[in-house]
Amino acid sequence: MGDEQGGYQIDLGNLAAFGPHHQFASVLDNREDLLKECISHGTKLIQAVADALFNLPSTEDASGPVVSLPPPSTKFPREKPLPKPKPLTSWAEFAIKKGIQNRKRDKRVFDEQTDSWKRRYGYDRVNDDNDLPIIEAKMTDEPGVDPFAKRRSEKRQRVEKQEKNRLHNLKAAAKVGALPSHVQLAATALPITGTQAAPRKVSKDELQNVAGMAATSTASGGKFDKKLAGEKPPKHDKKYRKFLPVVEGSGMGSLEKQQSDKILNKLMAKNSHEIFNVGKAVDMYNAKSDKKRRNQQGKSSSTSSKLKVKKSPYKNKSTKKSSSIGKSK
Amino acid sequence: MRPLDESETTQVFEKLFKFTGNNLKNIVESPSHEGPDQTPGRYCFRLHKNRVYYVSESLVKRATNIKRDNLVALGTNIGKFTKSGKFHLTIQALNLLAANAKHKVWLKPTSEMSFLYGNDVIKGGLGRITDNINAYDGVVVFSMSDVPLGFGIAAKSTQDCRKMDPNGLVVIRQADTGEYLRSQEDI
Repeated sequence: MGDEQGGYQIDLGNLAAFGPHHQFASVLDNREDLLKECISHGTKLIQAVADALFNLPSTEDASGPVVSLPPPSTKFPREKPLPKPKPLTSWAEFAIKKGIQNRKRDKRVFDEQTDSWKRRYGYDRVNDDNDLPIIEAKMTDEPGVDPFAKRRSEKRQRVEKQEKNRLHNLKAAAKVGALPSHVQLAATALPITGTQAAPRKVSKDELQNVAGMAATSTASGGKFDKKLAGEKPPKHDKKYRKFLPVVEGSGMGSLEKQQSDKILNKLMAKNSHEIFNVGKAVDMYNAKSDKKRRNQQGKSSSTSSKLKVKKSPYKNKSTKKSSSIGKSK
Repeated sequence: MRPLDESETTQVFEKLFKFTGNNLKNIVESPSHEGPDQTPGRYCFRLHKNRVYYVSESLVKRATNIKRDNLVALGTNIGKFTKSGKFHLTIQALNLLAANAKHKVWLKPTSEMSFLYGNDVIKGGLGRITDNINAYDGVVVFSMSDVPLGFGIAAKSTQDCRKMDPNGLVVIRQADTGEYLRSQEDI
């Protein structure tokens, strides 16, 4: 806010105050007096800023009243120079001359032959060259020429011509100094658009690094590209792997503990059917019941067997089993 | 030196499980009283140059101070990974396995030497054998005085062993203590 308070301009967005009408009363000789006057005047300016701050509507916060500052009003000079106007590409010039308008094209085009909507370009496209089964012969055709090969070579020529034009446009832009910034950054030797910095000398290591990065940024990681003579092997040619930390805290970390416990439990669960030996349990039960029957036949007990408390056979089995395991350890 | 990743840990545990069964829990979670710390730490597995070591935590922490090229071994070497990524138990794991073995086989004194020379165990040399061994289970071989001699795979189950003729194979040897003399360079 360019508030005028007592002749000062206050810019609250930048928390600044300017006193444009100040005049030093007299030329002061010694530095101390000059300093004193500057400080006294400065305090007046700061007081003006503080007054304006406290006049703003404030909201209550845990640490005290909070004020949101208005946007700054002081205009600063431009940080970077204006971008240079790009030179028109050869197609742009031609289009202007002929009055050609740029029309937006659809991604899907209706294909008459298959009666379906196909892409304009890319996989399974509308007028794919490879899909032509028959090319009818024209009167202008020579007898020995292969029309399919002719179409292919014509397409290659068109692509090459386009590439040449693209490079020509880039060179024209570079001459003026208006290269698009992504191309500018890609060539590390060139300075950023507009700056006057001298082109930095790129060291051999840096160039090799960049060449290596570019080489591995193909779809197969640069594995099948032919290497030129003198090109160093890639710095890291294998897949990147990440391992658990060797020592976390003191010895085993929680992640490692979790992993080993998980695997241990999985393994135990998979083989849990072997923990309880059914055959052995059955044998033991049979032996026990045989012994009991023999004892009952021998003694003549008054109480009938039905009233006797029957101990659960499985309870005995487990204790018996664990004791035998303890012995075999 | 690095900890094992998941697939490697599964392989190691499965191999150990063949010999120890549920005692694998004891191996993985046993407290170790090594080191000056009061609270006992645990034992962990570390991989160094394709060999798996069973080390206590305090030792691992101190071993990180040694340069990787200069570190030869630490703790107990229990096995190694082959070039194609398979895990084999070596003889140095014998102590660990013998303490936690599920299936054991005792050899007669006459056939001890044969086993230590690297031959498999035939039925004639068998002294005692624990029951309910299935075929192709892991088995630890002891002498009659309960000294562990090595380990191997049971060729037949206990029932089949009783019916076999005296020259049949009982245990296919995987490692024996004679290897300490025979293949000193490998260890």
